[in-house]
Amino acid sequence: MNSTTQNKVVVIPCSGIGKALGTVGREATYEVVENMRKDVTQTTCLALLVSGDEESVQLVQRNKCITVDGCPLQCAEKNVRIAGGDLAASLRVVDALRENRGLKPKSVAFLDSDGQQLTRAVAERIASKVDAILGA
Amino acid sequence: MVGIISCSGEGCVEGTISRIATLLVLEKLRPAQTVTICLPLFLAGGKEERAFARFFPTITVDGCQKLCAKIGTERYSGKPASSIVVTDLNGNKNCSTTGSKRKLDDQATSLAEKVAERITQEVDEVLNHWK
Amino acid sequence: MSEYLQTVFEKFELRVRKGYYYTEDGLWTSVDDPRIRVGVTDYLQRTGGDVAFVDLVKPGSTVQKRTEIGTLETAKTTVSLLSPVSGTVEEVNGMLLEKPELVNSDPYGEGWLIILTPHSLEDDLKMLMSADDYFQLMLKKLETEHKKPEPK
Repeated sequence: MNSTTQNKVVVIPCSGIGKALGTVGREATYEVVENMRKDVTQTTCLALLVSGDEESVQLVQRNKCITVDGCPLQCAEKNVRIAGGDLAASLRVVDALRENRGLKPKSVAFLDSDGQQLTRAVAERIASKVDAILGA
Repeated sequence: MVGIISCSGEGCVEGTISRIATLLVLEKLRPAQTVTICLPLFLAGGKEERAFARFFPTITVDGCQKLCAKIGTERYSGKPASSIVVTDLNGNKNCSTTGSKRKLDDQATSLAEKVAERITQEVDEVLNHWK
Repeated sequence: MSEYLQTVFEKFELRVRKGYYYTEDGLWTSVDDPRIRVGVTDYLQRTGGDVAFVDLVKPGSTVQKRTEIGTLETAKTTVSLLSPVSGTVEEVNGMLLEKPELVNSDPYGEGWLIILTPHSLEDDLKMLMSADDYFQLMLKKLETEHKKPEPK
């Protein structure tokens, strides 16, 4: 997980546990790093980064980063900046919600169909940003 | 009221287990007695998260031995009333290298339920102690 | 002395601005003679969730008391906003188009919704609640409507 492999874009979700959109961001991140762009992306724990874990800090400093925030507090974006990360893009799940009006993901633990639909929309956005960063 | 602080846990299956177990307690097992503290927000200085953790008992739930939730809580608000580490409960000291971090398989789901039961026991004990 | 009455519910601080007038649904009115400003309370924004869209009536519209002046759409729900007074809409908060999150982060300040010229302010204000009364109502709602169930 925390290899310092370079040239892999690091996607960091906030994984906020209090809101459904935090889960959406997390799921979308996994969809990208495990499936859609699995050879060119990786992720790390935001909490580990904020705690000052050396490996995580070096990872974000040495690679282009995309943050995915579940709420307007934007913990992922702020903390990657504080850690000196190379922030190439910062995404907010609420912006995907604004483009998919009417979706109302309910549960935090297990995403319902609205949550899954929103996850796909966010994953597409992340993947597009990855492609733009890598010049694909 | 008890605050449960779970690690965000992207790194391994045990992180997801930590998260799912915490949510089971918050939403089903002890909804009236628990609140969640968002760990990244807490570590980053979230006012409400830190204020709660200062005045109410907390239970930290970590997926692995990096102990982000436990160490962060101790650093910014004081020793948690109880700390649970998923890797201590699964018989391994290290994170699992197999299994999806997204969709828990049967074994991981079973472990999440076991962790949730453990959290629930700790919640009850903390609340009894505080009476 | 604080400008607010406040309480803590779970981990959230909920505030009610002193000197404003309130509807039971959670809209506040501040008087800046001859106009009034309208917004939503801390309680409403907190229970509604993170605001994704704010749709408001246009400037120049005439609104009656208790008719819809707009909606807040959050990730959880859509909240109908009913006018506390009758009047003519002079201005709407244009910042909310791009930054609807202002309703959550600063409900009594930058998250204001509309400015009205009221048609019968004195009569309409008599039907609204004081800050103290709304605060008590909020406490009651927190106790009854937001109390989490005991596990079965």
